[in-house]
Amino acid sequence: MASELTQYVVTGLLVGGVYALMSIGLALIFGVMRVVNFAQGDFMMLGMYLTYFYAVALGIDPLLGALVTIPPFFLAGLVLHRVFLARVTGGGDPNREMDAQLILTLGMSLIITNATTMILSPTPRAIRTTYATQAFALGPVLLNQARTYAFVMAILLAGAMYAFLTRTDLGKALRAAADDPEAASYQGINVRAMHGVAFGVGIALVAAAGGLLATYYPIEPNVAVNFIVLMFVAVVLGGLGSIPGAFVGGLAIGLVQSLTLLVLPLQLQNVGVFVAFLVVLYVRPQGLFGRRARTV
Amino acid sequence: MTVLSRCLTLALALILALPLVGPPPAPAAEDVKIALVAPLSGRWARQGQLKKMGAEMAIDEINSQGGIKALGGAKIVLREADAGDSVEKAVSAAQRVLTREKISAGIGSWLSSFTLGVTEVAERLQVPWLTLSYADSITERGFKYTFQTSPVSSQQAEQALDLVVDLAKKNNQPIKKAALVGDNTAATVFFFKPLREKLLKEKGIELVVDEVWTPPLADATSIVQKLRNTQPDLVFYGATNFPDSIQVLQKVKEFGLKTHIQGVGAWLVTPEYVTTVGKELLESIQSVVASHPLKGQEELVKKFVQRTGEPFMTQDPLCTYAHVWLIKEAAEQAKSADPKAIRDALAKIDLTTGPAAGALAPGRIRFDDRGRRIGAVPLIVQWQKGEPFTVVPTALATRPIVWNK
Repeated sequence: MASELTQYVVTGLLVGGVYALMSIGLALIFGVMRVVNFAQGDFMMLGMYLTYFYAVALGIDPLLGALVTIPPFFLAGLVLHRVFLARVTGGGDPNREMDAQLILTLGMSLIITNATTMILSPTPRAIRTTYATQAFALGPVLLNQARTYAFVMAILLAGAMYAFLTRTDLGKALRAAADDPEAASYQGINVRAMHGVAFGVGIALVAAAGGLLATYYPIEPNVAVNFIVLMFVAVVLGGLGSIPGAFVGGLAIGLVQSLTLLVLPLQLQNVGVFVAFLVVLYVRPQGLFGRRARTV
Repeated sequence: MTVLSRCLTLALALILALPLVGPPPAPAAEDVKIALVAPLSGRWARQGQLKKMGAEMAIDEINSQGGIKALGGAKIVLREADAGDSVEKAVSAAQRVLTREKISAGIGSWLSSFTLGVTEVAERLQVPWLTLSYADSITERGFKYTFQTSPVSSQQAEQALDLVVDLAKKNNQPIKKAALVGDNTAATVFFFKPLREKLLKEKGIELVVDEVWTPPLADATSIVQKLRNTQPDLVFYGATNFPDSIQVLQKVKEFGLKTHIQGVGAWLVTPEYVTTVGKELLESIQSVVASHPLKGQEELVKKFVQRTGEPFMTQDPLCTYAHVWLIKEAAEQAKSADPKAIRDALAKIDLTTGPAAGALAPGRIRFDDRGRRIGAVPLIVQWQKGEPFTVVPTALATRPIVWNK
């Protein structure tokens, strides 16, 4: 029984690691820009495809490929922000209408999914890695190798992200723009540019998470629907806009999904997640790491 | 208004009026429109795409051979509607396509849950509907316009169990313990229900694992761990969502589980399985399907492969191909494109020759009062060296079955 429990905990953490990385990007975008990015899952899907093409065309291992997705997605994020999002985000004004940005990101999501279906076809693809079907054995407990590598990379990327936000001038400027856009602009911080950076980093992180996911999960245009709700739950659970909160939220979801199976049938796996979600919000409406003022 | 703008307005009016005063077009046989409501987006889009390939192939064949002769060579045209990824979207798609213009017959919608909804619309609008979906309940509602060409799930479960128990005995590996692993979509539910409630008990087989989930599956570790702990001789496997299925199969390999996997449906024999998990892992995995290329259909498969670039043909395009040909035969017999007349012709049809009958084992098409195909038998398809072959019934098989654990 003890080994079974350990197996469930380990599995839950491994699953949660990638959820955590996916959620950080969403939390960053929300924390800095106050934009609810419904297209976040679709950028994850595009990250999976890019990793796939790196593997097929250039022979790049997907674990490395996931990292190499970061620069192009960061640049794409800057461009998308400049061309579309900057027109509807209102420079961080908390009193502005939210409708336009909600419709914009939802529209982006629909266009990306359907364009990918048209261009790349709905046929699922996969990167076949030896580590997807092999495990590290710790006594009776098995750790899937692909998920373990993905977990370690997710932790490293999340750590790098945290260091970037807390140790660099640009990171501090991002946090200032999130905390109080008006005061930040008085300090000479270009809030609009910070929004662009936040969007670029946000979608680059989720694309990297997609790349890690692609080491063991099939790639198809519609893959985002399997994860987007969990990403939002992780972000709200952790405290809207909080990076450490989103990370812990993602891990918690994986863990709850796994441990739920000890007491509930498999069919009710996600019921456990939503019950835990409601309980946390009842006890701490601002989420696990949330504060009154939204911040990263 | 200037002289120039007056001239331009006059020119525009003349251009617009020109088609009205031209000679009338030569009379031509009116096209017969067939609706295909299938998932063309969402998590089952691949299956919809395959269905569409089969329908288009049949339509091209029929039209190039002179169309529907009883209707003056009328051509068949396809009106596709995207069933998406939910019953609501499927129903709405059916409603849209069937009310926009006159549709003579419809086909769809792959997933039994979708078909249950879509056939309600077809029944209300009195349009005959052909489906390959398996769920028993599709033809248990007293509908007059629904025709189910596949053997129903419960029948498939019973026949598949008989077949594998028999095979196991012949190979001196009797089945004592079995597992049910799959999602809660309608066809899987109806397949598992009789196995769980009576069939396994009747054969003296112990049910050791019964794991059902709602797609998508987060992780397959708990399922495969239970299988490893209980070591069933046979796993009935019904994971219609591709990523779920891949996760389970990868985990089976990771845990080194050795057991017979008996799939429930054609989703397990699509080409992308080879590229995703590799032919070694798939070797000797079987699946019960409603149709698959049989002995003697090599030419048809060759044409399909050349036309589509797919590596082989499977149930989904084959059934839709047969359905289009069946509608054509019904229109010929009815001598009408009217949906009610085609419905009546389908209810009375008894086909033993032609592409439709040839594609659906055992080679005869006729329906009972409920709209179920009389004598429909399930096939067992087995992965061998990266390709799925029909292995049961042996008279129609393209390869002998391989049974090793």
